[in-house]
Amino acid sequence: MAESAQSLWYKDAVIYQLHVRTFCDSNNDGIGDFAGLMQKLDYLENLGIDALWLMPFFPSPLRDDGYDIADYTSVHPNYGELKDFKAFLKVAHDRGIRVIIELVLNHTSDQHAWFQESRSSRDNPKRDWYVWSDTDDRYKDARIIFLDTELSNWAWDPVSKSYYWHRFFSHQPDLNYDNPAVFEAMWGVMRFWLDLGVDGFRLDAVPYLVERDGTNCENLPETHTIIRELRKRLDAEYPGKMLLAEANQWPADVSSYFGNGDEFHMAFHFPLMPRIFMAVQLEDRKPIIEILEQTPQIPENSQWCIFLRNHDELTLEMVTDIERDYMYDEYAKDKTMRINLGIRRRLAPMMDNDRRRIELLCVLLMSMPGTPIIYYGDEIGMGDNIYLGDRNGVRTPMQWNGGWNAGFSQADPERLYSPLISNPVYGYQAINVESQKRVPHSLLSWMKKLIEVRKSTRVFSRGSIEFLRPSNHRVLAYVRQLDDEKILIVNNLSSSAQAVELDLRQFKGSIPIEMSGRNLFPRIGDLPYLLTMGPYQSYWFRLRRL
Amino acid sequence: MAEESFLTDDLLRQLISVGEVDLLVGIPSLNNVATIANAVAAAEDSFQHAFPRERAVIVNVDSGSNDGTPDAFLNASSHQNSRGRGLTSLRTGHRVVARCDTPSPAAVFRTIVATAELVRAKACAVVSPASPGLSAGWVENLLQPVCRQDFDFVAPLYARQRFDGLLVRQLLYPMSRAIFGRRIRELLATEFGFSGRLASNCANRDAWHEASIQDSPQTWMAATAISSDFRCCQSFLGPKVRPAAGPPTDLVTAIRQAVGALFWCAESQQRFWMQRTGSEPLSTFGPDHELTDEPANVNLERIFELFRCGVAELSPILKTLLNPDTNTEIQHLATLDERSLCFDNTLWARTLYDFAGSYHHALLNRDHLVQALVPLYRGRIYSFFLRHASSSPAEMEADSENLCLELERQKPYLIERWKKPSEVVI
Repeated sequence: MAESAQSLWYKDAVIYQLHVRTFCDSNNDGIGDFAGLMQKLDYLENLGIDALWLMPFFPSPLRDDGYDIADYTSVHPNYGELKDFKAFLKVAHDRGIRVIIELVLNHTSDQHAWFQESRSSRDNPKRDWYVWSDTDDRYKDARIIFLDTELSNWAWDPVSKSYYWHRFFSHQPDLNYDNPAVFEAMWGVMRFWLDLGVDGFRLDAVPYLVERDGTNCENLPETHTIIRELRKRLDAEYPGKMLLAEANQWPADVSSYFGNGDEFHMAFHFPLMPRIFMAVQLEDRKPIIEILEQTPQIPENSQWCIFLRNHDELTLEMVTDIERDYMYDEYAKDKTMRINLGIRRRLAPMMDNDRRRIELLCVLLMSMPGTPIIYYGDEIGMGDNIYLGDRNGVRTPMQWNGGWNAGFSQADPERLYSPLISNPVYGYQAINVESQKRVPHSLLSWMKKLIEVRKSTRVFSRGSIEFLRPSNHRVLAYVRQLDDEKILIVNNLSSSAQAVELDLRQFKGSIPIEMSGRNLFPRIGDLPYLLTMGPYQSYWFRLRRL
Repeated sequence: MAEESFLTDDLLRQLISVGEVDLLVGIPSLNNVATIANAVAAAEDSFQHAFPRERAVIVNVDSGSNDGTPDAFLNASSHQNSRGRGLTSLRTGHRVVARCDTPSPAAVFRTIVATAELVRAKACAVVSPASPGLSAGWVENLLQPVCRQDFDFVAPLYARQRFDGLLVRQLLYPMSRAIFGRRIRELLATEFGFSGRLASNCANRDAWHEASIQDSPQTWMAATAISSDFRCCQSFLGPKVRPAAGPPTDLVTAIRQAVGALFWCAESQQRFWMQRTGSEPLSTFGPDHELTDEPANVNLERIFELFRCGVAELSPILKTLLNPDTNTEIQHLATLDERSLCFDNTLWARTLYDFAGSYHHALLNRDHLVQALVPLYRGRIYSFFLRHASSSPAEMEADSENLCLELERQKPYLIERWKKPSEVVI
């Protein structure tokens, strides 16, 4: 792609997240693969997305959906070979789609050769590549993240007769970044993929890279030192590539991962996500405004990533106890829906399959500051299966049509890596790409239009945000502005019709032009601007001064 | 002819923005700039602590403050989350200001009740910014029984100093208990709770225009709740502390307002109470009524003189209003020296019932009639002070209970007086 190497492409992108396994099976073994994904790039290009974020596809025992990596520089045979990845990458780039892959810095699978060596003896050269201890009482202040399955951050290794440190599952030993060799090895991994042409990395679990006694072992200064060095090397040798941080922390803590524009390019805004769901259920804008007001300014070349759902549980770590209880009571009444400190459901079921609520959330996603990420299947309103264990209920096969295996695979249904969603409401016969492509007012068609409108201007991706505060708390209204361009977004968060008077005097004389239908609305004057809105309705107005 | 709406357009516009709520706290005000912020904080803290998920609004009904009270209400700072992370509260809090042209408590309360109905509030509380002891716990204790236990009327209970609130303890409570058959201690309180159901029942009643309840609408609301079979309870708030500043209480005005309202309620609800005997205790949240052990600070000599002079001056009127035996006894009391005066429960009960009956038959202008009770009340209180100068709170409470039982025992006398006027004619 011919483009300035210094372009901030990630700020303007709409990212689509998927796991290769879930998308399309080309060789009929019941598992999605790169060849199958390549076949679906037309669909993704047509949808209008700019970048793909691929979940881990590396060799792995698959005890944590691929986040337990056994070989960083290869492709799991389930998904094809390295040459298949290269072919896919080329076709993606030909369609203007960038590719972001995972890099799990913090830990490996216990099946990784490095760990096998490390555990083999205390004298092994790779012994110090992991965090070992003769006791399990160090780093006592570090919390346990996978509460439902782990009792400790230490695990006993019977081979080397000592404990090893793991912040996630016990089969995922943490790498020791106090050892420079580990850093160099991981940089080598990055260079491998960068040389192939990938456009960026999502770095998993970055807050936990370094441990120190007397701390909670999260967000330590040494971690930032590591990231700065990675970024420095990346910018020097591979300009235009992007690092995305997965740091599930409060905004003030996450913002430190941008550094002075010399650490991560992007970071997920985790605390915003549950509050979007909260606001819609409360029918009150307060959760959204408050968390964004607590969000500090970030460097000009940095960007938040915002999202509604992803492959993990909808995390409720960065909320208060009251907020968590509310979210559980409203969105996860059945305790089977809960895992760790979160909710393992998809967008559409959480919205009770209410098309209006789904659209409202997508509108919020596309209009709030940050780069939006769409989780595969949410564009057609896919459902979930909470009985599949772990978080597999939100990782079911993509539903392409109402036919054999939803068009995902020609294998026997029993061979699929996961059962399909098949109930009458969310099942593939009812919810699939093919039927929605045929209908101009389907959710898919609407999403495509929404993405198109978002991308028609850089105001959404790069503009400022100013909240209006009409007295009706059920209406969330804000103005996005970039240079002279202004867009007014008004959202009714309520299930009932609302009237709202907006103080738009600062825009007096401007003509609001609704961006979807391009219809004119009355010019703004001195009086409060009255809008009446249907349930869950949104307006995007370009404010033109003519 | 349709009644002109008493709710202003400005108020309605604010309520449109508020929408439906679960909780409403009404704060009447008149020149309370120094204390309104505390009242707001108490309400908002209670929402945050006890009702984090409920939709809530605080309504300030101002009777024409000239010290900036409504602005102070709107600008009072909100509860801050000291951790600085996460939400301060789940929901947007609303504050609404209503300006009441008619500065009577009835007009203010009517505005609160009507507002509660419009926003479909499920649980409501009225609190006074002038109450020094007002806290988040008070608000919570008024709302909880409605919100969580489905009660309709919540009367407060206080811890009082042992010689405080005697108008309530020696007249209003015993008499209302005997008449209406429910043991609501505080009928004159500036804090109480009520349900949206009760608000809807009361909102459009003609009683709001009745002169007798203009200054004591809460008495009428309590009587309405009882007689309309709403679920009533009491909830302990804490110490009743008198405001440090402010004019001394005018007893004549207080009795005219409080007793006048009680008599009017008896008048309007006679079909209900005439059938009832005895009294029922109410569900009580927290400790029951408490008395604390402080010494009295009153001018007993002056009270005694006012009693004697009042009886003498009003002798012709008392002859009209009272049963002859009652009148004879009272005239005799007025001749005793200050150490011998004993206005016992039996006489006091008959006195009150004679007045109630006379009120019903309008033997005099009703305001004047009620005011004529003042010197007799003074005599009763003087006697009470004499009797209980060294009593413990428990002994005083036992005596008050005896008064209540005496009034209940003599209720047939009240009914007899109610049915026919005194045979004495001027």
